Amino acid sequence: MNIRPAKVGDLLGMQACNLQNLPENYTLRYYLYHAMTWPSLSYVAEDHQGRIVGYILAKMEEERDEKQPIHGHVTSISVLRSYRRLGLAKKLMVQSQEAMANIYRAQFVSLHVRKSNRAALGLYKDTLGFTVKSIEKGYYADGEDAYAMELSLQ
Amino acid sequence: MAPSSKRALPSKEATLFRELLTLYETRQLKKGVKTADQILKKFPEHGETLCMKGLCLAQSGKREEGIELVKKGMRFDLTSHICWHVFGLIQKDEKNYEEALKSYTQALRFDKENINILRDSAQLQTQLRIYDGLVETRHTLLRLRPSLRQHWIALAVAHHLNGNLSSAKKILEHYEYSLKNVPDYDVEHSETLLYHVRILEDLGEYAEGLSLLDINSKSRAIVDRTAVMEFRARLLSKLRDTDASNAWRALIDHNSDCYEYYRGYLASKDVDLDNPSDESRGQALAILQEFASQLPKAATPRRMALSFATDEQFSDLIQQYLRSGLTKGVPSLFSDIKGLYTEPQKYKAIQEAAEAILQENTPPEGQCSLGEPTTYLWTLCFLAQHYSYVPRATPSQPLPSPNFERALALLSAAIAHTPTLPELYTLRARVLKRAGDPLGAAAAMKEARLLDGQDRFLNTKCAKYHLRAGMIDEAIQFFGMFTKKDAANPGADLEEMQSTLYLIEAGDAEYRLGKLHLALKRYMAVDKIFHEMEDDQYDFHGYSLRKFNLNIYLNLLAWEDRLRSHPAYVTAALQASRIFVKVHDDPSLITAASSSVRLSDAEKKARKKAKKAASKAHDDKKPAAPSTSDDTVENTPAKDDDPDGVKLLGAADGLDRAAKLLQPLESLAASNIDAWLVIHDVAVRRKKYLQAIKALKHAQSLDSEHAELHTRLVDFKKRALTFPQAPPPPIGPLVTTSLATLLPGEVSLETYNSVYLQRHSGCAPAVLAAAQVSHSLGAAIDEVDATLFTTLADDAQLDIVSASKIVDFLKAIKSSRVEEYRLACLSRFPLSTVFMTRSELSEKQKQIVEGTPLVEVERLEVVP
Repeated sequence: MNIRPAKVGDLLGMQACNLQNLPENYTLRYYLYHAMTWPSLSYVAEDHQGRIVGYILAKMEEERDEKQPIHGHVTSISVLRSYRRLGLAKKLMVQSQEAMANIYRAQFVSLHVRKSNRAALGLYKDTLGFTVKSIEKGYYADGEDAYAMELSLQ
Repeated sequence: MAPSSKRALPSKEATLFRELLTLYETRQLKKGVKTADQILKKFPEHGETLCMKGLCLAQSGKREEGIELVKKGMRFDLTSHICWHVFGLIQKDEKNYEEALKSYTQALRFDKENINILRDSAQLQTQLRIYDGLVETRHTLLRLRPSLRQHWIALAVAHHLNGNLSSAKKILEHYEYSLKNVPDYDVEHSETLLYHVRILEDLGEYAEGLSLLDINSKSRAIVDRTAVMEFRARLLSKLRDTDASNAWRALIDHNSDCYEYYRGYLASKDVDLDNPSDESRGQALAILQEFASQLPKAATPRRMALSFATDEQFSDLIQQYLRSGLTKGVPSLFSDIKGLYTEPQKYKAIQEAAEAILQENTPPEGQCSLGEPTTYLWTLCFLAQHYSYVPRATPSQPLPSPNFERALALLSAAIAHTPTLPELYTLRARVLKRAGDPLGAAAAMKEARLLDGQDRFLNTKCAKYHLRAGMIDEAIQFFGMFTKKDAANPGADLEEMQSTLYLIEAGDAEYRLGKLHLALKRYMAVDKIFHEMEDDQYDFHGYSLRKFNLNIYLNLLAWEDRLRSHPAYVTAALQASRIFVKVHDDPSLITAASSSVRLSDAEKKARKKAKKAASKAHDDKKPAAPSTSDDTVENTPAKDDDPDGVKLLGAADGLDRAAKLLQPLESLAASNIDAWLVIHDVAVRRKKYLQAIKALKHAQSLDSEHAELHTRLVDFKKRALTFPQAPPPPIGPLVTTSLATLLPGEVSLETYNSVYLQRHSGCAPAVLAAAQVSHSLGAAIDEVDATLFTTLADDAQLDIVSASKIVDFLKAIKSSRVEEYRLACLSRFPLSTVFMTRSELSEKQKQIVEGTPLVEVERLEVVP
């Protein structure tokens, strides 16, 4: 599958991929906000027909306190179930992380995952090397807790 | 006009008014209203205060009250720029951009150099694509505040949009020259420089672009390394510089799974990618294999090599490729390589390779497997997909037809081997779907979903397949397992999240069930989403310039200009228009729809009552989720007064609405013949004969033999012959002459039709079209029947879709041979449920809902 920086024309495909895969969904506006603010941080995986089968939607953390170092944040990452076992998530993540470090000098990257989502937790921990930093109580709209995870980029 | 002396306020109130403006700017709308009231107590007719109060109210959820106040304020002070500005803002909020711009222009008459109003005007001009006006506005802004960096950039962008790249370049040069003290690692400056490079590239000044890029990337003024490398490789290639391959090579090292980089590299080595000669095939293969050995983790060079290889080399490579994928258990392996199926030799080689791998890994009867059990499993899956592959277009050398029975047997063997792998059931579902059994397909998807209830992907597929099977209520229940619990219903959440997949599939399902009102409702919801997406760009006209992210912003504008070329929009627009046409032709459909709604309303009430009683029994109310909405803005969506789409269906201006939906397709879907056919259907009913003729001409240029074009050509000619009076010149004569170029005038329509039938006697859609035409020309039913029955001949090509259309048409003309045709189809397509009777179908649906397995899973013989 083709791994490349996300373009404006990919955002609808990313949105469709997200809606098909994950319980946390966003309107196009939110994707636009990411792309228009950090145009080089999001990546997509596309199949031979040009369909988006995986994506990483990423940003720089804006609401950090002074003491916290500059860091990136993964808003959403997913790969269609039928395109697993190709290592796409890892490839997408690596590209995005490099861009975070290279353009914005990010020191680490953070993300949130539902406490109950064991499959995703496994991916972040074992495949991508993230560690759990804390638990955020009631992070999700339905009241579920989130693990706040981080990965150092240094 | 109110005298402007009334505008001046005493100092206490003047201070309050300034406070009011600040409160509005900082979005403290409630306080704003209170402050306005303080002024209005003494000066109840102060126009500007009334307007500002109205604006605060309108933007905090009290729209109508606010708008009334704004209008009142305007009446008291028509020469105030504030009043006009407020009015413009209100219109902008209603997405009425044209009128808003007019109000801003008024406001500027009374305050020519107001920065805020100028800025808002520029945003509106961009939204409306009035680029010459935009250049003027940006110029004024720069003249007023030349010290603002943003104003320079904004003018350059305006020139760019207005098609004047060299002016944009000049502005940027001037701007960069005058810049002082740029901090290190300044992302904004970096983006501006990349924008400058892009302008040079677009101007064809590649060498200049390259040197600007090189200087500023060496000095680290441009910080985006990937962007630098991409620009560099592209510019070097355009300059035909020998260094180009190194630049592409650097990109490949940076991201070794990007196809564009490999293509760039190969092109820089003079490999013609589209029509490779034998020599360059060999060269490309050597290069790709070199990459494959250097970059073992990259999948791309190995996959690309398969496109260049032929004959024995292909057989070797595909074997390695399949073996590796099947050992790893890559579920997407088939979809990855099916692009190679355009060549029959490759098709054959793939089949042989996969069959060989299956042989090696098949466990001997009653013994443990020799090979890996998962390899065996994934090879079964692969071959099932292979045998059920339906060739897309007819290639010059045709591929074997799909063998669904064999595919199902392979999957049954796999399921017997490992009954817990969801993929086996999703594949089974897909095979059944292709074989024309949407019900069995839905049942198989349901089984897949049950094996992993946490997975939304399986859930979405399951729901989608239920929609395809016409089981809408069940589908909605499935969707509801992952939609927000506080949404009115699952569909409402999916609509809010802009799921065009859901809306199109649901619309199609309703359409197939004849519920045109609901179908129309879904399709029009898609249109609404595209309106939202068009509006979404508005804020970025300001935001992106402040952020200096110019390249992506320009890409956004270009993308928005082509937004409605998206397949979801095209489908929705065409389907909605078809419904408007149907209703226009047969208004009794509207009364049928409204009475069906009344019936189902009664059902719903009864169900609601039962549900209420049930939930009272065990109330497990969860604490409400914390609200994240801004308390100053209460955005409660207006209640839908037409939830079932009945009013929409009966809209008196249905055809005009359809024309509006279709209008963007004339330029954005110009190569889509269906679009032109529907444009014709709407135009001809609106008596826009020239537009209708034009649409037919376009359709004819795309595919002159298209079956549905044939019926329309004859229909149009018939209409033209029976015009109660010829349309007045110049339209009448123009229609006549254009029509003559579309179909010959000297032969009768009957002859024209039978010649068409002779040309396409083996093709079911064309035969149907010819039968429809001869029916419309008054042929006897048995003659029409006889024509249609030729589609059942052994040498005729008949597919499920055409066959079921023929059944529908036979029903519509009340043929006595419907049953005969239907039964013939049943035996022709043994796996398909499309030709079952209504009662047979609902029996099957019941079985699925109750979960009775439709097919016994048993160990089937898989060797052919």
